[in-house]
Amino acid sequence: MLHTDEVLSTIRMLHSEHLDVRAVTLALNINDCATPNADQMCKKVQHKIMTRASRLVEVCDEVGDKYGIPVTNKRIAISPASTLLAGHGQAAALKLAQTLDLVADLCRVDFVGGFSALVQKGISAGSQAVLDSLPEVLSSTKRVCSSINAASRKAGINMDALHQLGHIIPAIAKADEQNKGFAAAKLVVFANIPEDNPFMAGAYMGAGEPEAAINIGVSGPGVVDSALRRRIAGARDSNKKLTLAELAEEIKLSSFRVTRVGELIGREVAEKLETSFGIVDLSLAPTPTVGDSIGEILKTLGIAHVGAPGSTAAIAMLNDAVKKGGLFASSSVGGLSGAFIPVSEDATLADAVNRGHLVLEKLEAMTSVCSVGLDMILIPGDTPPATIAAIMADEMAIGVINNKTTATRLVPIPGGKAGDKIDFGGLFGASPILEIRNCGASNDFVHFGGRIPAPLQSLGN
Amino acid sequence: MGNGYVINVMSDDRPGIVAGVSAAISDMGGNIESCSQTVLDGYFTLILTFTLPVQWEIPELMKNFAAAEGLHDCQFMIRTMKDLPRLPEKKNPNVFVITAFGPDRKSIVAAFSQYLAGKEINILDLYGNITADNSFVLISQVEVNPKSDVKNLQLDLEELGEELGFTVRLQHNNIFIATNQLRLDN
Repeated sequence: MLHTDEVLSTIRMLHSEHLDVRAVTLALNINDCATPNADQMCKKVQHKIMTRASRLVEVCDEVGDKYGIPVTNKRIAISPASTLLAGHGQAAALKLAQTLDLVADLCRVDFVGGFSALVQKGISAGSQAVLDSLPEVLSSTKRVCSSINAASRKAGINMDALHQLGHIIPAIAKADEQNKGFAAAKLVVFANIPEDNPFMAGAYMGAGEPEAAINIGVSGPGVVDSALRRRIAGARDSNKKLTLAELAEEIKLSSFRVTRVGELIGREVAEKLETSFGIVDLSLAPTPTVGDSIGEILKTLGIAHVGAPGSTAAIAMLNDAVKKGGLFASSSVGGLSGAFIPVSEDATLADAVNRGHLVLEKLEAMTSVCSVGLDMILIPGDTPPATIAAIMADEMAIGVINNKTTATRLVPIPGGKAGDKIDFGGLFGASPILEIRNCGASNDFVHFGGRIPAPLQSLGN
Repeated sequence: MGNGYVINVMSDDRPGIVAGVSAAISDMGGNIESCSQTVLDGYFTLILTFTLPVQWEIPELMKNFAAAEGLHDCQFMIRTMKDLPRLPEKKNPNVFVITAFGPDRKSIVAAFSQYLAGKEINILDLYGNITADNSFVLISQVEVNPKSDVKNLQLDLEELGEELGFTVRLQHNNIFIATNQLRLDN
């Protein structure tokens, strides 16, 4: 028997506080499509994905309607393209990407992730084909996303790969100059990449995964923020002292409820598609919509300017409470599972950058305690490649040493200078270009190249 | 079940009504099989099924309850229970919840319930209340035929709501269980 207040609180969460299922991602292993003939390979890839994914959107909408909750994004993640591209060159890489773009269109999904390579310890021929093709692939396709794992706790940090990426990332942006370099936002560089991440641009299907799986990304910054505001207002009205521990408890409760929505939807979608249910990713993912912001939660927690002292502690508490609440709500938690701070996609974070409250270095500190890294950071178009590589290396170091996933999604805006405001529109939002201090001062460090060895923490056996 | 009865009791709410009814049944040597009570706007109502060792005429039973201690201000309605076989309770996978919010006005419940009756949708539970800002909230758990097109029902209800100035939603019961209770679904 349901209680009236339970029904009303769920209705409020679903319809006033922007709760949605952010991503239902069908992960597919396509390694069996490998063949020396590139055209044949693309045919097999198209056939395989169409066979498994053609009903994805229809099923997500049907299940979403049944429960009255929108499934905002439907996506496909494939096993790394680098495996298929072993023995092929850039031409085959481009054909494969075009096929993926076409299939995404036919299946009506918004993105296909997995044009990826794992290069943390070295770059294989297939991985090099992926890297070399990225400027053309990402600028000439609409829905293909790429991720490169350049570091891990077990392997250390591949500085050669990062140095290459320092050149490749501005080249991607330059190739997409007519869209202000947006194509670079479809590439994520990881340390400790998760194999079951449902969120783009970093979703791909890992080697230890089943043939196919449904992975779910829930969201709900608005739900958490509203719950905190109600709790704070209630305490103020009744003159009660409220501590941070009590606020953390409130976040846990909201996270439980948000995660449950993902679990319910994910299980049913997987059942209808006759696919195994993978994981629920507990991340709080903001959008530029007002009220759907991680920055707003920090403000509610008493940080008047996001980026001020206390911001790192506040986001650490948020991140931890989200996990604690979500863990019990789901039978299988995975992916990134943390609070994202993608600057351009979060109106409050972008505003804090605009006001000078939030700078790159503070963002980096915050990413050491939350998910997922320096995300959707717009940088000047003339940032030297070695400096881009060094920014990535710093972020990778946080992940490798602290045994967590970190990542960068940097967008060098062609012709753009620090402070220029760039609007990508839609979910990708708008942000000023961040200032990169000490440009060029890391050149020698990056030029040493090679690999930063795996840390002591890698010797756990 | 040969001597089974169902009684409905209504009164102003106060302590002791359930005690009075159950004592009267006990004094007759009876056994309570199931019961449910609620209080709405200060009014108490109780529905209860019970069996007795011997058969009683309904008017005699009415007199007995009316004369019982502590029940002088209660109204009763009593019927003989039908001799239905007791089946194990089946979980229905097609329970949905309708929620409707809007400015209070006449005939809201009538409009929605008539629509549901027309579609042969059974109401399992119903709650309605006027809130502090003079809005009316209607929440109803309903059994939807598995063959029904849920999307069309949703569109019909939304359209009906729009005509009445109400926001109406039809959502599967399990979303409310998943987000409020420890178990995931029904």
